[in-house]
Amino acid sequence: MTLSAGSLFDVKKKTVVLTGASGYLGKTFAETFLENGARVIVLGRSEKLDSHLAQWKLTFGPDLVDGYRFDMGDAETLTNTMDQIVAKENRIDVLVNNAHELGPLTGFNTQSGSLENCTIEQWTRNIAGGVLWPFITTQKLGPVMKRQNSGSIINISTMYAVVAPSPDLYEGTEFGNPAGYSASKAAMLSFTRYVASYWGKYGVRANAILPGPFSNIDYSTTNSVSKDSPFLSRLRSRTCLKRLGSPHELAGALLFLASEASSYVTGQALIVDGGWTTT
Amino acid sequence: MSRASRPQSQAANEGLRSLFNLAGRVAVITGGAGLLGMKHAEVIAAAGGTSVLVDLPQACPEDRAVELSKKCHCDSFGIAANIANPGEVDAVSDAILRKYSRIDILINNAANNPKMEASSDGEWSRLENFSLEVWDADLRVGLTGAFLCSRTFGLEMAKRGKGVILNIASDLAVIAPDQRLYRKDGLPESEQPVKPITYSVVKSGILGLTRYLATYWANAGVRVNAISPGGVYNGQPQTFVTRLQQLIPMGRMANVDEYQGAILFLCSDASSYMTGANLIIDGGRTCW
Repeated sequence: MTLSAGSLFDVKKKTVVLTGASGYLGKTFAETFLENGARVIVLGRSEKLDSHLAQWKLTFGPDLVDGYRFDMGDAETLTNTMDQIVAKENRIDVLVNNAHELGPLTGFNTQSGSLENCTIEQWTRNIAGGVLWPFITTQKLGPVMKRQNSGSIINISTMYAVVAPSPDLYEGTEFGNPAGYSASKAAMLSFTRYVASYWGKYGVRANAILPGPFSNIDYSTTNSVSKDSPFLSRLRSRTCLKRLGSPHELAGALLFLASEASSYVTGQALIVDGGWTTT
Repeated sequence: MSRASRPQSQAANEGLRSLFNLAGRVAVITGGAGLLGMKHAEVIAAAGGTSVLVDLPQACPEDRAVELSKKCHCDSFGIAANIANPGEVDAVSDAILRKYSRIDILINNAANNPKMEASSDGEWSRLENFSLEVWDADLRVGLTGAFLCSRTFGLEMAKRGKGVILNIASDLAVIAPDQRLYRKDGLPESEQPVKPITYSVVKSGILGLTRYLATYWANAGVRVNAISPGGVYNGQPQTFVTRLQQLIPMGRMANVDEYQGAILFLCSDASSYMTGANLIIDGGRTCW
């Protein structure tokens, strides 16, 4: 192994499959891999994916990025897309399960998503994001990694998989964090450990990243927050570092887990939360 | 390969280097002359940082620093000191500040770790026989030493408003030792070697220290995290290795260089939003 900082965390020429690539964090994840020379297959639902994809092809070269735009909620299309990817790609080195529906359909930021009101439909959609979609992608792409005797699966969970959101943070705001999100993202951690244990001896590693408050303040989406919202100052003051995380602050964790720098790390939950869960 | 691949890969290396760059930063590594301490220093050097190896006189940290400088073509510095002695820690700090005028990183790596897996004289290690002298000695190095170094070097970082402390815990900070690993055929129960109780206590204490310091100095810009590594291949008896491998999903112990990625990740700005965390690097041992 070379000791150069560049090569230790190298993802050049690795093939990465990334779900939720058009989202607030997903876009940064895609660009983190692309800027470091990986070939990235981006999956997403929003129309933004098309324009991102065109831009990325221009910037990084048409060979280094490929994309599929569809709704992961359609399990059949997701399954077929995975089959297509397996048939087309020579290898799969990294799978990042990042997609999650963050809006009224899963009960985010609406009174209809509260514990009293939330529907089975909202609950089920949360569970789909936390474990059904990762299960489908892992079941399809994991065996490729097993055959290669190497691969890294990275599941994007949340600190709310290990601590509960405090109702006080949301009191009097338009924001709300549904129970199904916590439950599904905690289940995601169990699934991560299962996969790590199951394919450990084949060199396939599975880990989770648990981001703390990385509120979307850059875009106007169903889950974005305006920069001067009092909700944000509550989040800031709840962390040790007294600030929100910025998406690029997940790049280090992502590259660490995707590269040989973490060759002995598996079954773990890497918390990047500014110290939120420390206290 | 695409037409753009060459300039792109150069840009890629630049990007990684800056995220994980330690150029101009000074890292103090306790137990720095040991097997893993030297490995930590190598990766700090590879990222452009300067390592200060602190270790007991008999471990010859000055000589190790000379070796490291030659091997890595970098600047490094060795100082002999007992980190359980506050006066000696202050002297180390003074020497570093005289030479480099800054301390950016502290890696609390020093701890007693007797090789029970290769021991045929294990009676002393058993809980019922464990002496207060050994208990005190182990806690003085592993916990008091980490406390004193954190206080002195961490305060220096807090004064400057930026710094990183990385504490080396162990998989045995989160699970109990499996004493069957250390058994020797033919010895009566009362003489079977065990992993000393102090190892679990010191390493668990290190996690408490990590969380305490992380919150204490969060506003001062000092981040504090821990890693919990498993065992590395280092000439252990085959029976021990075989038994241990069965406890690990990846089916193997770590290679000696496999903690370098985590060290660099947590010592650099690549982990700028992490504090108070414990990164377990154990081939999956604690996940099943």
